[in-house]
Amino acid sequence: MKVSLSWLKRYVDINVPVEELCDRMTLAGFEIEECVDLSANMSNVVVGKVVKMERHPDSDHLWICQVDVGDRVEQIVTGAQNVFEGALVPAALHDSHLPNGAHIKKGKLRGVESNGMLCSGEELMLTDADYEGASIYGIMIMNKNETVGADMREVLGLFDWIIDFKITANRPDCQCALGVAKEVAVVLGTKFSEPTTDYKTSGEDINDYIKVSVKDYDLCPRYLGRVVKNVRIGESPEWLKKCVSAAGMRPINNIVDITNFVMLETGQPMHAFDYRDIKNSEIIVRRATDGEMITTLDEKEHTLTSEMLVIADGENPSCLAGIMGGLNSEIKDDTTTIFFEAAKFRRDNVRKTGRALGMRTESSARFERGVDINNVEYAMNRALSLISELDCGDIVDGVIDLNEGLPAPRTLNVKASDICALVGVEVPTEKIVEILNSLHLATTEQNGMLTVSVPSIRDDVEGKADLAEEVMRIYGYDHIIGKPMNSVIMRGKKLPERINADKIKSLLVGKGLYEAVTYSFIGSKALDTLGISENDERRNAVKLLNPLGDEYSVMRTQLVTSMLTVLATNYNRKQPAAAMFEVSKVFVPKQLPVTEQPLEVPQMSIGLYGNDADFFTLKGFVEDILDIFCDGVSYERANENYYHPGRSAVAVKDGKTLAVFGEIHPAVAEKYGLDTKTYVAEIKLGTLYEFSRGPVIFAPLPKFPAIERDFAMLCDASLPVATLESAIRQGAGKLLEKVELFDVYMGEQIEKGKKSVAYRVTLRSKEATLTDEDSAKISKKIINRLESVGAVLRG
Amino acid sequence: MKQQLEQIKNQAIEELKSAADLKAVDDVRVKYLGKKGELTAILKQMGGLSPEERPIVGQLANKIRAEIEETLTETLATLKDKETEQRLAAETLDITMPGKKTAEGGLHPLSIVLDDMIDIFRSMGFDIVDGPEVETDYYNFEALNVPADHPARDMQDTFYLAEGLLLRTQTSAAQIRTMETRKPPIRILCPGRVYRADEVDATHSPVFHQIEGLVVDKGITMCDLKGVLEQFAREIYGPETKVKFRPSFFPFTEPSVEVDVSCSECGGVGCRVCKGSGWIEILGAGMVHPRVLSACGIDPEEYSGFAFGIGLDRITTTRYKISDIRNLFENDLRFLEQF
Repeated sequence: MKVSLSWLKRYVDINVPVEELCDRMTLAGFEIEECVDLSANMSNVVVGKVVKMERHPDSDHLWICQVDVGDRVEQIVTGAQNVFEGALVPAALHDSHLPNGAHIKKGKLRGVESNGMLCSGEELMLTDADYEGASIYGIMIMNKNETVGADMREVLGLFDWIIDFKITANRPDCQCALGVAKEVAVVLGTKFSEPTTDYKTSGEDINDYIKVSVKDYDLCPRYLGRVVKNVRIGESPEWLKKCVSAAGMRPINNIVDITNFVMLETGQPMHAFDYRDIKNSEIIVRRATDGEMITTLDEKEHTLTSEMLVIADGENPSCLAGIMGGLNSEIKDDTTTIFFEAAKFRRDNVRKTGRALGMRTESSARFERGVDINNVEYAMNRALSLISELDCGDIVDGVIDLNEGLPAPRTLNVKASDICALVGVEVPTEKIVEILNSLHLATTEQNGMLTVSVPSIRDDVEGKADLAEEVMRIYGYDHIIGKPMNSVIMRGKKLPERINADKIKSLLVGKGLYEAVTYSFIGSKALDTLGISENDERRNAVKLLNPLGDEYSVMRTQLVTSMLTVLATNYNRKQPAAAMFEVSKVFVPKQLPVTEQPLEVPQMSIGLYGNDADFFTLKGFVEDILDIFCDGVSYERANENYYHPGRSAVAVKDGKTLAVFGEIHPAVAEKYGLDTKTYVAEIKLGTLYEFSRGPVIFAPLPKFPAIERDFAMLCDASLPVATLESAIRQGAGKLLEKVELFDVYMGEQIEKGKKSVAYRVTLRSKEATLTDEDSAKISKKIINRLESVGAVLRG
Repeated sequence: MKQQLEQIKNQAIEELKSAADLKAVDDVRVKYLGKKGELTAILKQMGGLSPEERPIVGQLANKIRAEIEETLTETLATLKDKETEQRLAAETLDITMPGKKTAEGGLHPLSIVLDDMIDIFRSMGFDIVDGPEVETDYYNFEALNVPADHPARDMQDTFYLAEGLLLRTQTSAAQIRTMETRKPPIRILCPGRVYRADEVDATHSPVFHQIEGLVVDKGITMCDLKGVLEQFAREIYGPETKVKFRPSFFPFTEPSVEVDVSCSECGGVGCRVCKGSGWIEILGAGMVHPRVLSACGIDPEEYSGFAFGIGLDRITTTRYKISDIRNLFENDLRFLEQF
């Protein structure tokens, strides 16, 4: 809410500097968005009187003026041709600053001394709205009544501040100058005076002019109307125009300015109709019919629906209730009779209509936040008193006030001690009573029990918590002294999922990987880019109804897209290598379209390129992570379109997929601009967390020595080593301690299509030292097994 | 014979003293003490001595052997020391050459700061919990005292997924889920991802992170709230940090406050970071609204509580002086490597 300091001073004594006012209002709950000193952009400009004019001897257009600037006469040269002897003009003296940024100093114009500059309205950034005659071409000629030598800022009313108060959503009563002024009075402890609502009427009966009916009280709980005749449309007085401008609105004419001013002053939006244009002299407050049209004041045409409330005349909608008037009934220069409206419209309806039509006005903003049903009449009376004050119309007797009952003040009974207990500060009871009364919450106290009468304008005050806030924001939050929590000792725990994630993260960080954090939504084409088939379950993704753009439109069902994007970002920025991971989750809908919350399944990804990273580097990371939770993981070939078919794998345990990983298919990598070998792993943390190693139980250290035997063999190059290993395990039986693959070789010396594989097998018995015979027997079994899978022992 | 023995001893010791290396020492040992050594040879002649002389010479021989052996040991030690010294001298390195790096990666700065916060609040007894990111209208708004027509809904632009289903705009939703499933005393911290329909720029991101705190028990007051936040602020911003409450409005707390901390950059004098005010706004907080307690089946007459919401991204960007929030989500390694 923007309001000028001088405006506030109309209602409340302000006896402190503006900076202090701002600080104290902030501490009372009214943050200051901005406080602009209007005088800051102009200095050393005074009202000057041109006492003598002569032609410049060396110029055919310059004039040498002797200008009375109050305490002396200065010689100022001007090129303007509209100056005359006796004219009052703004004179910028030596070392003056103008609002347009100019810095004026004395100097010589074609050899003649000039001690300043006579100013145009434009140079002072003024228009006719600010000062009459300011818009003319040439020097601004001022009113004869101005005092010679007076500071122009004084003349223009610039010794003022525009203060923009941030009004929180619970205080719709402060979306107006009076609301703010009331708070200022409480904060400063000074007197608040309500403006007059007196007016004179001039006979006749409103019912002879107009018939008003409300069809939809649910959307319009109160509708109040008055008629003003013999309207004299004209300009508003300076003070009124200044107030309207200070709040950021444009002065138009006295009637429109009054409706705007009353809204800004009281918080109650008003509307004025040209009576001539009200068909059948009838006003009907009703829902629009589907497809009905209205052209609003901004000359835009809208198609309405039956959920929108309109003020209609006998034929058509004449106003969008609470949002904007219709073009057909706007106030014109020749308007003679007006119908004034003040009403309360339901806030969510105004909001929905405004949203649907893309309209938000000063009026709708106030209705959306809520206006006080009891304030409607006050605002109307205030408008009428301004009609009287400005003498711009004759008020017809009678008022139309349609409502289904007005709420009386609510009574709250709250113990003073409960208020203190909530904030933890002993505020003296009499102080509580004093503060609440000053806030217009009439309060009495008996035996520590407060009885508070809450007027409808303070809808937000519902109980002890609200009263506690009202008391504390005035009493001062600096009275609250922090102390150790008054409660039992508790130990803060982490959930197992977080503990597991922390383990994985620190493992990967220790191995040189960096953590990435990416958005949870991805583009709608992401799965196409990966080549994921149409019937893949990851296609069942939750879509945002109102995304910021297509690239942020789908809740992700996989993390590969995000990881490839991160890798591509780094690759494009010439990072030679990257090793990264992300621990996050994917969103799996239970049904589509979604009607309930999707499953949020923890998942992680790893991404690598460069630094000699290969499939096995990636597999090492995957194995390390899986190893935290379980043993006995087997690896099968993966079947994913976005992976290299021969260099990708699925890690499976008990039939469940724990991870899918491998080299990204070059065609997919290329789409991301990654023309290097790129490796990605997806680890299904949700499934992995189902496994756990359980408690550690100590295994006694071996008492007997182990025997190591090496087995070197030849087999088909395509035979997976996992087959060889399992053959060894079967052959070795329960004496097996360890199987280690230590060499794989293909190339010269080896038959084409074959590979040489070497294992070191460690055998140990818990009962005795193994003999050479034992070892020979087991070796024989191992060799038999190996041969049965197609491996031949090398000599 | 005694003379011979003395001579051998002197010779041996003389030779040992001049021995230049371990091999020379060993040669001396073999020459005098070995099986075919000179001392051994002399002792073999003992048979020719008279029974009276035999023990005397024998004793002398043993003494001399011992003396030679002692000198030998000493010499050996000295030589070893010398050799070690020489070897070490030869092994001298240029210690100004760079160390061998073991590549360590790093957590994202958001994780680093979050871990700090989790530590601080766990030490004060807060359980760390999680809540769903896709929320229902009820948990994100209604139960938090933001009914459908409430103007506070305008304060945040919400991403919707379906009627009544949205991406949570605040971690406060977790308050409700916690209070529904736990009984007081409650002390929880819920960190998580939140979403608002803000266009991306230097200070806005449609995805960001909040940390919600909630305490409910008998007799909890605003002084407890301030005490906890002071403890937190001192841990994060330094022991001299002061905390200030300013009245504000959130639908789910009453009274509500904005919490400012004294600017850690200038100590509260006023600087560019705090825009001259000496204070930095870090979070919103308040006493849990009685309606919110009631909605969760907690009697507001018996229990009270406080809640606070911290912007993790903002705490992170201020700690590291990151001027553009987009850096947090780009994952440029040159950025990530700095933390």
